[in-house]
Amino acid sequence: MDSHPNIYQPFPVFIARTLPQISEHRLFQLKLEDGGTWERFGHQPGQFIEVSIFGKGEAPISISSPPTRPDVLEICVRRAGRLTGSLFELGKGSRLHVRGPYGRGFPVDKLKGRKLLLVAGGLGLAPLRSLLLYVLDRREEFKDLILMYGTNNPDNVLFKYELLSFFDRNDITYFYSVDRDQEGIWKQYVGVVTGLFDQAQLSPDDTCAVLCGPPVMYRFVLEKLLKLGFAKENIYMSLERMMKCGVGKCGHCAIGEKYCCMDGPVFNYTEIEHIKEAI
Amino acid sequence: MKRIHKESLKEALKAWEEKYRVIAPRLTERDERIFDTFDEAWFTLDYAKPSLPLKHALFPQSEAVFQVDQGIYRSIIREEPALLFGIRSCDLKGMLQSLSFMSKDFDDRFYTLRAKNTAAIVMACPGQQSPTCFCTTTRSGPWADGGFDLQLYENGDSFLVEIGSSRGEDLASSELFEDASDPAAREKVTSFRRRAAQSIPLVPEIEQAMEKLRTTGAPDELWERFGMKCITCGGCSFVCPTCTCFNVSDRVLTEGSGERMRSWDACLYAGFTKEASGHNPRHSQALRIKRRHEHKLLYHGDRDTHGGLCTCVGCGRCSDYCPVHIGALEVARDMSAKIF
Repeated sequence: MDSHPNIYQPFPVFIARTLPQISEHRLFQLKLEDGGTWERFGHQPGQFIEVSIFGKGEAPISISSPPTRPDVLEICVRRAGRLTGSLFELGKGSRLHVRGPYGRGFPVDKLKGRKLLLVAGGLGLAPLRSLLLYVLDRREEFKDLILMYGTNNPDNVLFKYELLSFFDRNDITYFYSVDRDQEGIWKQYVGVVTGLFDQAQLSPDDTCAVLCGPPVMYRFVLEKLLKLGFAKENIYMSLERMMKCGVGKCGHCAIGEKYCCMDGPVFNYTEIEHIKEAI
Repeated sequence: MKRIHKESLKEALKAWEEKYRVIAPRLTERDERIFDTFDEAWFTLDYAKPSLPLKHALFPQSEAVFQVDQGIYRSIIREEPALLFGIRSCDLKGMLQSLSFMSKDFDDRFYTLRAKNTAAIVMACPGQQSPTCFCTTTRSGPWADGGFDLQLYENGDSFLVEIGSSRGEDLASSELFEDASDPAAREKVTSFRRRAAQSIPLVPEIEQAMEKLRTTGAPDELWERFGMKCITCGGCSFVCPTCTCFNVSDRVLTEGSGERMRSWDACLYAGFTKEASGHNPRHSQALRIKRRHEHKLLYHGDRDTHGGLCTCVGCGRCSDYCPVHIGALEVARDMSAKIF
């Protein structure tokens, strides 16, 4: 009898609820078929799963919910390809298959006791939300928490009600931006996310910055952080690559000597700054 | 050390067939030399460098990683003893490197079980098999320094047989194999090795290229030039003993049933790194060529190389088959040319 598992075989879960977000984006709440919680899954903020629908293939999707809320596993999905297209056809009670959790998530233990600056752009909030909610659930273990979130326009703000609920909290500082506001309805900053840095009171010496956004965002935010005096080793970012197998074999997500699915998707800036194609 | 007469070899192969699926060199009706299931009538020892490495024996071009039957997922991991007869040392080194990679962190049971159940009988090369051979540079030949069950050295009308494992001991236990532990036999092997190694010239440009990549990197201009030439056929990856990248796709037989397949893929293809969003981190052929060659010459740890110089094993097939001359040799020579 072969005691080693087949690393490519997923297990069944079902959709407990789907929550529409913005156009073409949906939050799926997944539950285990035996009714248990996701505690035994043992995921960390920033990790991902491979989602399968047989006949449509498999795709890496970041986990949006923190391990501190183990009743459901949440994934925030944009309808973009074949797999996600089929996922959007599924409703409550539908079965799908997953593997994971995979990858190295946010370095929660290193972030404990530190001030945090979370910078998200667009769908980048989906993976970062797992860390954001983790910090809020264990608020006393972390120091100051600043969130910066930018989208292209007011219609595309993800997790709107959660972001609004922070208005009532005094243990998180938040800055929201939109690139454009053609209808003039946006009450906060209009401009790219880096513009938010001029509004925030930051203490670069003892703050860890965690970034997640579209590829174009990183270069500009990094430039800003370094100019403000953030040490490279205090900057973490989650990179996006085609992580086909999730277990470091298929080669699609390789960046230099790293495999995004194994060594990442969260990297410290010092680990990837020498790799030209990383950012 | 043992000895087997050439005329007894087919006898030995037939005996091994009782326990193993034997893969051996053979001629085809069109006079090609390939590795396939042993066939006494077509078996040949005149096969030089076979067109393809035996990579597919452990890593088939396409294979199912599980079956789906009416929504139920089932693993299919089969165990079948196989024996590779006549594999070259460069190709064996490629397999050993791939085994390290496939067993690292997550264990790819499809690869590792096949490797465990496969016996390797190496045919030491008596000399350069084609002008593109450079295994003496990559430390992967012309004979194997480990990882084999038996290794054969041609010696007149017989082969001297080096035993590399207990399975090899067993394979060479029949009366077809005579004892050859005399000093003269050992001396024969030593001189065979010396002659073989001397006939394969060193290619210093390989190490120079590695050094260049480690220090300054190659100029973008070089990759752009090769990128312009590349016709994106992916052939270099498919003939490479150490390329193991794969794609995943579903083969649907009936609604809700079928197999999930993994099939050879190549980092030279534009879609290899393309994400669902449309973003493609390696968006040009220049970047994709760079990736392929840097993966062979730069990005590897000690474990990945298995005692070799790098993760290129010097078989020269990419230089043999690339229709537009972008093999490891051409790239390394270009990179180490003095004009940069």
